Amino acid sequence: MIVFKTFLKILNKNKFIIIMYTAILIFFGGMNMSTNDKSTNFVTSKPDVLIINNDEDIGITKNLIDYIKSNSNIIDIKNDEDAINDALFYRDVNYIIYIPTNFRSYFLENKNPQIEIKTTGDYQASLAEMMLERYLKVANIYNSILDNEDDIIESINNTLSKEVKAEITSKLDTDSLSKVTLFYNFSNYSILAGCVYVICLILSSFKDEKIRKRTIISSTNYKKINRNLLISNSLFALILWFFYVILSLVLLGDIMFSIHGLICIINSFIFTICALTLAFLLANLINSKDAINGIVNVVALGSSFLCGAFVPMEWLPDSVIKIAHFLPSYWYIKTNELLKTMEIFNFDTMKPIIINMAVIILFSIGFIIITNYFSRKKQKFA
Amino acid sequence: MKKIIEVKNLTKEYKNLKAVDNLSFEVYQGEILGLLGPNGSGKSTTINSILSLLNFSNGSIKIFGSEMNPDSYEIKKNIGVVFQDVALFEELTAYENIDYFCGLYIKDKKIRQKYIEDAIELVGLNDFKKFYPKQLSGGLLRRLNIACGIAHKPKLIFLDEPTVAVDPQSRNNILDGIKKLRDNGATIIYTTHYMEEVEILCNRVIIIDKGKVLASGTLDELKALSLIEEKISIEVNDLDLKYIEEIKQFRNVDEVVYDDNHLIISYEKGKNNIIKLIDYLKDKNITYNNLYVMRPTLNDVFLSLTGKELRD
Amino acid sequence: MFIHNFKYILKALFKNKMLIFWTFAFPIILGTFFNMAFSDIEKNEMLDIIDIAVVNNNEFKDSVIFTEIFKNLSDKNNDKRIFNTKYVNEEEAKNLLEDDKISGYLIIENSPKVVVTTSGINETILKYTTEEVSQYEEIIKNLTNKIASEEISTNSEYLNNLDELNNKIYSRITKLINENNVNIKNISSNNLSYTMIEFYTLIAMTCLYGGILSMSALNCNLANQSKKGCRVQMSPTSKKIIVFSSVLASYLTQLVGLILLFIYTIFVLKVDYGNNLPMITLLSLVGSLAGLSLGIFISSVFKTSENTKTGIILAFTMFGCFLSGMMGITMKYIVDKNIPILNKINPANMITDGFYSLYYYDTLDRFYFNIISLLIFSALLISISINSLRRQKYDSI
Repeated sequence: MIVFKTFLKILNKNKFIIIMYTAILIFFGGMNMSTNDKSTNFVTSKPDVLIINNDEDIGITKNLIDYIKSNSNIIDIKNDEDAINDALFYRDVNYIIYIPTNFRSYFLENKNPQIEIKTTGDYQASLAEMMLERYLKVANIYNSILDNEDDIIESINNTLSKEVKAEITSKLDTDSLSKVTLFYNFSNYSILAGCVYVICLILSSFKDEKIRKRTIISSTNYKKINRNLLISNSLFALILWFFYVILSLVLLGDIMFSIHGLICIINSFIFTICALTLAFLLANLINSKDAINGIVNVVALGSSFLCGAFVPMEWLPDSVIKIAHFLPSYWYIKTNELLKTMEIFNFDTMKPIIINMAVIILFSIGFIIITNYFSRKKQKFA
Repeated sequence: MKKIIEVKNLTKEYKNLKAVDNLSFEVYQGEILGLLGPNGSGKSTTINSILSLLNFSNGSIKIFGSEMNPDSYEIKKNIGVVFQDVALFEELTAYENIDYFCGLYIKDKKIRQKYIEDAIELVGLNDFKKFYPKQLSGGLLRRLNIACGIAHKPKLIFLDEPTVAVDPQSRNNILDGIKKLRDNGATIIYTTHYMEEVEILCNRVIIIDKGKVLASGTLDELKALSLIEEKISIEVNDLDLKYIEEIKQFRNVDEVVYDDNHLIISYEKGKNNIIKLIDYLKDKNITYNNLYVMRPTLNDVFLSLTGKELRD
Repeated sequence: MFIHNFKYILKALFKNKMLIFWTFAFPIILGTFFNMAFSDIEKNEMLDIIDIAVVNNNEFKDSVIFTEIFKNLSDKNNDKRIFNTKYVNEEEAKNLLEDDKISGYLIIENSPKVVVTTSGINETILKYTTEEVSQYEEIIKNLTNKIASEEISTNSEYLNNLDELNNKIYSRITKLINENNVNIKNISSNNLSYTMIEFYTLIAMTCLYGGILSMSALNCNLANQSKKGCRVQMSPTSKKIIVFSSVLASYLTQLVGLILLFIYTIFVLKVDYGNNLPMITLLSLVGSLAGLSLGIFISSVFKTSENTKTGIILAFTMFGCFLSGMMGITMKYIVDKNIPILNKINPANMITDGFYSLYYYDTLDRFYFNIISLLIFSALLISISINSLRRQKYDSI
């Protein structure tokens, strides 16, 4: 009880910084989720394109414009370089096509006129580029064989109208599910940073010379003190986790009440335990209060960047992924990613998730063992 | 004697609390003035007001005969302050710390070097010049703290409890150093909790509580203020309660305490107290040993004036 | 006195391990993380080989162009290989897809169709490729007659040898297809790479973290903040000189940290900040000034422990960097578009945006806007602080 009281006292003393930290982290999570990066999900979405036509709007030129129009959202921006650059900068437009003067006549003369473009370089833009390239390629082919402009246009339209059906078998709400993954991936940072920071802060206050001496000579033995500390800190970690789950229920809604959501919640719970044990280990290794901030940021930001909490995992280079295997965050995030596309829940499909969770638990046990080793060693030489 | 500091009607209020209440006193050249008072009595507030660090509601302060202001650099040049808390750069060595603070007073490098050596010599830090504050023990740290405050050879020195939590060796070293400073001509204002230090060091003492001067004067003058003239202590085994009651009825007896086979009797005044007591003991056939008379200490004075025990 | 104080404050700052960690080491560590995470985003995309399946039914086997092109795109010796293709029957393909072994499969029944589970990047590539192939098929169909009559008119021998004619036509069209003479020129000002903005936010973070230095330096000058400050104020040196020299010392320390970061990112991590060196220098100096004033402000206006003050500066900076895109560039777009005021007053964004506009825009308008914003930010904080900095007597210490 005394330990718990001291815990609360220290918590109270540092409440300003703890509340600030927790609020910011939770706010980060919420904000990040609401940005909903649509770049990974674009088959159905159309790129935003601006066409600046310096040629007459007839014949092949008109046909090109019509084709682009029917496959993209045409954005209207005044033809001013600064305005165009701004629009690109803010992703108001993904792709800009400049059709040169005499495009039509040069084209028909087989001069292969150059088309200038500006691009944001993201996936939406490459979608637009594929479209333009395809049109020009097909047009060039017909142009080299056929002579009559009308024939060429007709052939082009015929050819390009041939679309391949794509059947999406999954009935999953991929949009919502990727939001869930995004949110819980980001929580890797928040939970790690929150747990490690607060727990290190509290434990280092406990280690504070005077208090340590008092607790060592007090009749409570150190194992019991450690156990009580563990319970008090677990409580904090639990609250942090709980906040996060509540926030996800508020922001993500119904999808969280599916099996996907449930596994995400369980997964984050296991990860919270791991973060807790890691925090204990670090608190044992850190001797100076000043170092806490540094360690927290290096650990939390480091494992978030290297394990794909901020950047999608598939974008990370293989060498980094290999390193990431040594971090619990990797296994946590991997489960979130798996869930995004998981449709059937049976033993076979759940196996990798169970393995991931087991690895996180193994990490936790490892952290506890190392913590105990150092804690005992220190107790002896204290 | 020349007045070095003149404090007149100093009043400092915090919200509803009067920390210093119409305080007036003077400090004379060459003396060590002891400023005594329980915690929260206004000692530090008084000193900080004198030093022009704090705003005060009322009163005037003159140092070396002129008004003290934050930019009275000519006055500040000749003041040295050692604050209660250790105020040092963790990142600088002992020598560098002294050099930094001394350098804010003395521009000439050669003179400064000489002064720093003197200060180090005075507090006995010769072997620790290259040490960082973290590597120094509590006592050495206090000594370094003092060296930083007095290296520029000020004429007026404020020492705010410089010996708190210091081992006996360091304390003696510090007290000797302070005496040396006075012998070199400095005027010193010394606040402390320790009565013995005041009795060893100070020529004159001011006792304050609740921001008011309760008493001031030399040690003897103050002791004369005490209600208690003397105390007699006798070791008596298993004294009967009725004798204690009888002793209490003696003339001039203020208080009788019997504890751990020691009988302590405080007398207000009067003579021949001891003879009367011995006669009584003989008369009742009480065996005793170790009888001695104690003169009142500053602590007794303090207690009878403030009614409080000194606390750390 | 100026030089004396300057020298010692500089020394104390450089020897303070915590300060040096935040302003020197941490940005470099974080930069290394960025580099590891983003180093080959672009390369990686190209190299990704997608696992797919093709239903090997008669329709597929009959289509020369489909079999050829898919064989080609799955060829291990082809530099442009994008698929790892399994040829299976429909049942197997379904199973493979269900078990997540493949991204999708192609099946030709009357017309080609791709079956996928979701609509991700790989699935899109499969769909587009298939579409292209079927369009080539269409081109061949459309042009065969035309080319046939052309060829026959030049060489009537073909009439007797239809196989050769077909081959001739097919090879001519595939040659056209493979020529790829699409003439597109990218005139974007600069490639807007994801990684760049990360490093810009890193510079912004370093500039603002510099505030810890000025905060720490000033803390030991101010009598109401530390006992050291009381000591300093009791000396016969004017406060103006002390404060000014301390601030200058911390600014210098800050710049050293920033220069180290630039050296590390430019020479080790190969980050390109553009060529406008004077403007980059100007932005770095002004950005650091913003950090400096943040530190002065926190130091003089708040009265709490140095640790908490450090915490405030770190949290403020991290928050600002988050909004300007450190944890994902989308955040910057979202904030810029929806709550522009938030990033207009966010110094981390002013610095990030300054670098961005310098790299991206041809004109300097936007750059100067950011510089001026930073100057206003600094001036504002300093003028709020100046009151408490100039105070020499306090109500309580």
